[in-house]
Amino acid sequence: MRFPAAYPRCVLSAVLGLAAAVAPIAAAARAIAANTTAPTTPPPVIEAPTSPALVKVSLALNWKPEPQFGGFYVGEFTGTYSKHHLDVRILPGGSGTPTVQMVGAGTVEFGIVSADELLIAREHGNDVVALFATFQDCPQGLMVRTSRGFTSIGDIFTHPGTVAMQKGLPYARLLKRKYGFDQVNVVPSPGGDITAFRNDPAFAQQVFLTSEPLVAQKAGIATRTFLVKEIGYNPYTTVLITRRAYLEQNPAVVRDMVAAVQEGWRAYLDDPSVTNRLIQQRNPAMDLETFAASAAAQRPLIENEETARLGLGAMTAQRWTALARQLAELRDIKSAPRAQDCYVWPSK
Amino acid sequence: MTRFRLLRIIGPPLIPLLVLTAGSELLIRGGIIPGFILPAPSAVVAAVALNTRELLAALGRTALAASLGFLLSVAVGLCAAIALSTSRLVERALYPYTVFFQTVPIIAIAPLLVIWLNYGLKVVVASSFIVSVFPVIANALAGIRSTDPALLDLFRLYGASRSSTLLKLRIPAALPSILTGLRIAGGLAVIGAIVGEFITGYGLGDVIESAKTQQRVDLVFAAVLLASLLGLALFGLINLLSYLALRRWHACEQNG
Repeated sequence: MRFPAAYPRCVLSAVLGLAAAVAPIAAAARAIAANTTAPTTPPPVIEAPTSPALVKVSLALNWKPEPQFGGFYVGEFTGTYSKHHLDVRILPGGSGTPTVQMVGAGTVEFGIVSADELLIAREHGNDVVALFATFQDCPQGLMVRTSRGFTSIGDIFTHPGTVAMQKGLPYARLLKRKYGFDQVNVVPSPGGDITAFRNDPAFAQQVFLTSEPLVAQKAGIATRTFLVKEIGYNPYTTVLITRRAYLEQNPAVVRDMVAAVQEGWRAYLDDPSVTNRLIQQRNPAMDLETFAASAAAQRPLIENEETARLGLGAMTAQRWTALARQLAELRDIKSAPRAQDCYVWPSK
Repeated sequence: MTRFRLLRIIGPPLIPLLVLTAGSELLIRGGIIPGFILPAPSAVVAAVALNTRELLAALGRTALAASLGFLLSVAVGLCAAIALSTSRLVERALYPYTVFFQTVPIIAIAPLLVIWLNYGLKVVVASSFIVSVFPVIANALAGIRSTDPALLDLFRLYGASRSSTLLKLRIPAALPSILTGLRIAGGLAVIGAIVGEFITGYGLGDVIESAKTQQRVDLVFAAVLLASLLGLALFGLINLLSYLALRRWHACEQNG
């Protein structure tokens, strides 16, 4: 899904490096400021007084403005964020935007990652926590042409062809262990671009169920997408995170953010049309029809029996524990962390 | 005496290196910069030590690709510069198009490169070439154009042909410029190669890509370190070439 963009990312890394160098100083300054002002500021007693002061926060997305972020944009367009005392600046991402590091470094308050990214980040000492899991079922999969007649994800690896995916991803290594890559030529993911897929009938590529297959369909190619969930790998995806230090210092802001996001997703699932029109202005490369199709395709992955019971974006300790075990088995992490360290969910 | 001279050569560049590595090591160990943003130099060295075989194999591939891209740039770039220098009209007609190579957003055409050339070494060499050819053309052309007019008069006076003027006067006189172009192209060839490797999954670019996906910042920097050393080696080779070619007659290799 993420583009191996070298130049932008090099630049980004450099910027991040700088940000990282500055962040601690800024944090220290903030801490000093907080210390000096804290005693004089009266505790906020009243819920929402006339005070129009909104808390400014940033939310870094890991992809372009698409329906997969629909619920996050709703708040900006309808005022849900300001109702929750927030002024949220949404930063679209792209090819491999390192949102997990940006959140960890304090460059942004909130970010979007997948659950496996979060666990690996925690392993490297980046103390980030999950707040809201948009996709209950992972929309990542491998797309092939229907004409190849494949019936399972394993078929892709037992027939000669080219498979474009990020080899470093946990599920890619899981697939390698399960099927081996002897039959296929594994190449980097072209990240959203389907040129090679159109050109080569024996090409399979890593996709989001809600993006590339719709683009391929528009191009007149009949495709089938096998979700990685098929091999039992199903991390929460498009997960809202923050860093623990921020959560501990600003519990009310985080609570507001989660509430606003939850309301936003509820509204988006009920009627995505208006929001789609507004998001589409920020991503004109994708047409409105595809926006609508994508919103419809993602719905069952976002809303299911579990969310009906626990609420949209809900997470459970069992799911986190299961994923952590899988990653430990893949040696992405040394040992599975306690599930309760990974996520915060109001209802638990 | 010789030992002192050696120190004078190696010493100055060593000081910033020591300050930088020691400084960053301290900042990271002290917890001022988190290790997931910038790995400690010791962690990078450890990553090199732990993945030596993988990294060296990748380095070899990148070195091969970058060298091929560089040589192609030199060959094509010099021929282009000579062709452009033949007449002002040709230059005016074609030179603007060579600038295309300078500005081509390689990422944008990446998917096409892969389709035209198929996944593998060719994409890497092409990317390395596209990124590094322009400085060769621009510098060589400037050098060939700026031959001393007095010497050109002299050649004309003796009735030298165009080709012998080119071979015996214009090109030798342009050597310092040409070598400057090569120095710039050397570093760019490595960058171009790694960009191509991101697209096609090859060499150090592939290692960087995988390591980044796994949030292994130490391994990313280990690969970056090797890429820099590769660039440095190419630079050193060109400097050696420059010294051998110019030491007898040109001021730039005689002073200091």
